[in-house]
This record gives sequence, structure tokens and C-alpha cells, in this order.
Amino acid sequence: MSAALGMLAVAAPQPPTVFEGVANTVAVIVLLVEFLMLRTALLRAQIRLYAVQSLAVSVLAVVIAAGRGIPELYVLAGMSLALKVIIVPLVVLHLLRETGTEIAGSGALGVASEVIVSILVAGFGIFTVGALGLQSDVLPTTALSLAVAVVLVAFVLMIVRRDVVSQAVGFFSLENGVSMASLVVAAGLPLILEVAFLFDLLVAVVVFGVLIRLHHRQTRSLSTDTLTRLRG
Amino acid sequence: MIGSSCRTGPISSVEQKGGDHHTATLTKALRIHRTHGNRLLAIATAEARLQGRRGPRLLQPYFDLWKSFGKEALAPEGTGPFFLLAPVVSFACFLTVPLLIPVLTSYALPLGYMGDILGGGFILALASFLVAVAAAETGGVYAQLGSSRSKTFAAITEPVVLLVVFTVALVTTTDLPYVLGATIRSGPDQIVRPAHLLASAALFMVILFETGRIPVETHTGTVEFGMIEEARPFEHSGPYYALLRWGSAAKQLVLYTILLNVFIAPWGLASTTALDQVAWAAVSLLAKAVLVGVAVAVIDTSFAKLRLFKITEFVAASFLLAVLAVFTLLLGGG
Repeated sequence: MSAALGMLAVAAPQPPTVFEGVANTVAVIVLLVEFLMLRTALLRAQIRLYAVQSLAVSVLAVVIAAGRGIPELYVLAGMSLALKVIIVPLVVLHLLRETGTEIAGSGALGVASEVIVSILVAGFGIFTVGALGLQSDVLPTTALSLAVAVVLVAFVLMIVRRDVVSQAVGFFSLENGVSMASLVVAAGLPLILEVAFLFDLLVAVVVFGVLIRLHHRQTRSLSTDTLTRLRG
Repeated sequence: MIGSSCRTGPISSVEQKGGDHHTATLTKALRIHRTHGNRLLAIATAEARLQGRRGPRLLQPYFDLWKSFGKEALAPEGTGPFFLLAPVVSFACFLTVPLLIPVLTSYALPLGYMGDILGGGFILALASFLVAVAAAETGGVYAQLGSSRSKTFAAITEPVVLLVVFTVALVTTTDLPYVLGATIRSGPDQIVRPAHLLASAALFMVILFETGRIPVETHTGTVEFGMIEEARPFEHSGPYYALLRWGSAAKQLVLYTILLNVFIAPWGLASTTALDQVAWAAVSLLAKAVLVGVAVAVIDTSFAKLRLFKITEFVAASFLLAVLAVFTLLLGGG
């Protein structure tokens, strides 16, 4: 009987190796955190989720560095840990404290429908990239598909949320998706280019910081609803 | 009569440690009778400890059942045969499922291949359908409320279960629970793959829903407005009520066993018919189920009950996990 079971198990398609499995699981966690952001109503919790997601991306970099023997990625992981897990969330939290707002306005859709829409969009992204047939010798292309799904769900988050902070966090997490994609496609990229990407993020933080402050000073709220009145 | 025949279950099971397949089957069925109580009360006790209380005695659910079995059985006027049949048949359903899933042994029992995971799911659905029909027959407001709610939400958890089964099918090319257990035992690469982790998490959320645990429903207390599963046996009394309660406890252990021995921890099962191995498997199953119970108690204590219309969010989350499991598998990286 157990021999029969063994044969059946062997007949199944080859599972990914432990390295691939771990890498894909971390990539899936990044995507799941992106979905969690759709649900959170507190801005503070959303920023905390962004820190968790950045941590997952850093962990992915460490996994690749250890599994494929690319020591530069340790440096990258350390820098993204310092920047995206600690500095950026702290800066955004500081901005938030100045505005005194805690609750994000309700989104344009209910949470359940947002999740369904995001599943559709993510599925589109996953299978579109899967159909391209890209090959990477560092990571399985599943991680690339998941990275594209993260980018698309971040877009959905920015579209359905109506407050500046959620949109900023959506944009930052979009950057997380992009850096995950760059880990898959070009893990051997020169370190200086990766660092340049990280500094792009800093620019985005400054821009959004200015936007949050200015918007709050003019409208006394973080909601972007009032912006529609600007139509001529 | 029903009462007495069921009461012998836990007593006779002590002697039934299997030498051959048939006794193993019997043991398995009886084991379910016997252990569900222990686990149920373990949850109640753990929960009370977490809340700083001492909690009920470990065997309290058995005393409650014993008391109910000794009471008079009454039926509301105008109820049909379903009302009296449902507790018995649903209990029989919950005892049939353990024949199909690996409870104590890693090899399939003689009748183990007569149904796959879907077959087991059908039998569980039949039981829950019968209880809902019986509750709807009574005309009692809260029983009907419970049965209509439970069917409404069952309709949205069903796709999740289906996707979990698809995941199993894609991983093992069958949907026999024994094969998935064997696949997971085969090596660490089968454990860390995202499809397996996601499907297990989705199944755990569905089990929280099915057993009426906290993000969905409070299983204690008397507030009828939040009740789903708990409201259904309101109109039953005496031995029938006891059977329904016992059945829901047995269902909980069946679901935990599926989660543990098929998905999360298919270790510690007997691989031969040797008595000591089967006994050890029984002990390890109990220990694993108690661990899950403690985890559930922690969740119970640390989360608030969702409002009724927020339950769809909970189900949407488990649906997301199951969908991602299938997605990653279809991409070839799961």
C-alpha cells in the first residue's frame, strides 16, 4: 500500500527546490501584505504594513544572496532594511503626527469587492508575465510574476483610496514590487544601480511629504476628495 | 436507545486497539468519539487560562452530554421526520468521514479509497444541510436565523474549499488525502512550497469558520444575534440536543484531523498495524489536536468577533489565499 502511495507521489510534477520554495513563499508574503493594506483602516497600521513588506523584500534579497552566492545582495538588503524598514516609515509617521489624522477615509469600494478586483488584476499580471516566458538563472520566474502582481495591486490601492497617505504608501509599496522584480531579473546588477533605485525612493518620499503637508495646510484634511473641486 | 448506544462508544473504544485493518477502522471511528471531548475542553480550559480564569473541568463536556442524554426529548408541534432524523444522520455522517482520511494510519484503510477529499466534503455538507433543514422545520426564529445564515456563508466558503482541493489535485495529481500526506512527508521541498502553505492557511481559516470560532462567531454566551452554527440546535432537546452537540464536537475533531494529518503535520502516524504504533499515533493525534486547540484559543482571545457583514471580508481573505495557491501552482513555481 505504501509503495503504491509512493508511486503516486512520484508521478506528481516535480516540486520546486527548497531554495525556490522559500524564495517564492517570501514573494507571496510580499503580495499578501499588499492585499492586507487594502483592508487596514488606520493610517499608522498601513505604514507599519509597509515596513513589514519592505522587511520581506530585504529577506528575499538575503535568501537570494545566501542561495545563489551573490555577496553584494547582502549590502543591498542591509541598505533597504535601514532605509525602507526604518527611515521611510519613521518619516511618514512623523508627517502623520503633524496632521493629527488617524483614520483613512473609506475607499471607493467595499473591502471584499476591492479584494476580488485586486485578485482579478493580480491574476492578469501573474499570467501575462507567465506567458512572456522570461527566464532568469537566479530565481524562478514565479517571483517575477508575483512582483508584477504587487505593482498592479498597489495601483488598485492608490486608485480606490481617497487619502494622500494611503496613496503615498501605495506608491512606496509599488517601489517594493519593482525592487522585487529587479531582484529576479537582474540580481547581478551592479550595486551602484540598485542604490540609485533606493535614492529614487527618497525623492518620492520628499515629494509625497511636501504633498501631504501642503494638502493638509490648504484643506485641513488628508482626503483627496476636495481636489475634484479644482476642475475649471 | 440512541443515547445508550452512543454512550457505549467511548467506553468500548478503550479495548479496540486494532490488530487488523477492520479493528483499525473501528478504532478510528471510535477514537473520534472519544477524543473530541478532550480536545474541546482543552480549548475551553486554555481559553479560560488566557482570560485569567480557572476554566471548566477537562471532562465537563462529557458531563453535559450525559446530563442531556438523561433528559426528556421534546419536539415542536408540526415538525416532520427531518427534525428527529437530522441529529442521528448528521452524527453518522461525522463518523463516516474518518474512514476516508488518515486519522491514525499513514496507509489507507480497506474503505479508505471509496471517497476522496471531495467525497468527505460532500458527507460533511450533507450533515450540515440536514441540521439546517431540521432547524428550518421548527419554525423557531433563532433556529431558522442560524440555519439561513449558515447556508448563506457556507455558499461563499465553498469556493475556498474547492480551490484548496484543486491545489491538492495539482500537487499530487490525485485528490486522495493519503497521497497528499505522503507527499508532504517526502521532503522539505514539499513543505516550503508556497502552494502548500497558502492552501493550509486557507483551510485553517475555513475550519475557524466551520467550527464557529471567534473571528466569525462566539461559541459561548447567549447573544443570539451573532449566532450562526450555535443557533441551529436551539429547538432540539434531550438526547437529540446531546447528539447535535456531540456531532459538532466530532466535526471539529474531524476537521482538525484533516488539517493536521493531511496538510500541516502528517507525522506520527502508524505505518503498520502494530498495536504500539497505532497507540502512539492516537497519542500523537491527541497532542497535535491539543496544540491546534491552544492556537485557536489564542486567536479566540486576541481577536474581536467580526460584525456579521464583515464575515465576507474574512472569507474573501481565505479565498485570496486559496486563489494564490492555485496561481502559483499554474505558474510552475508553487
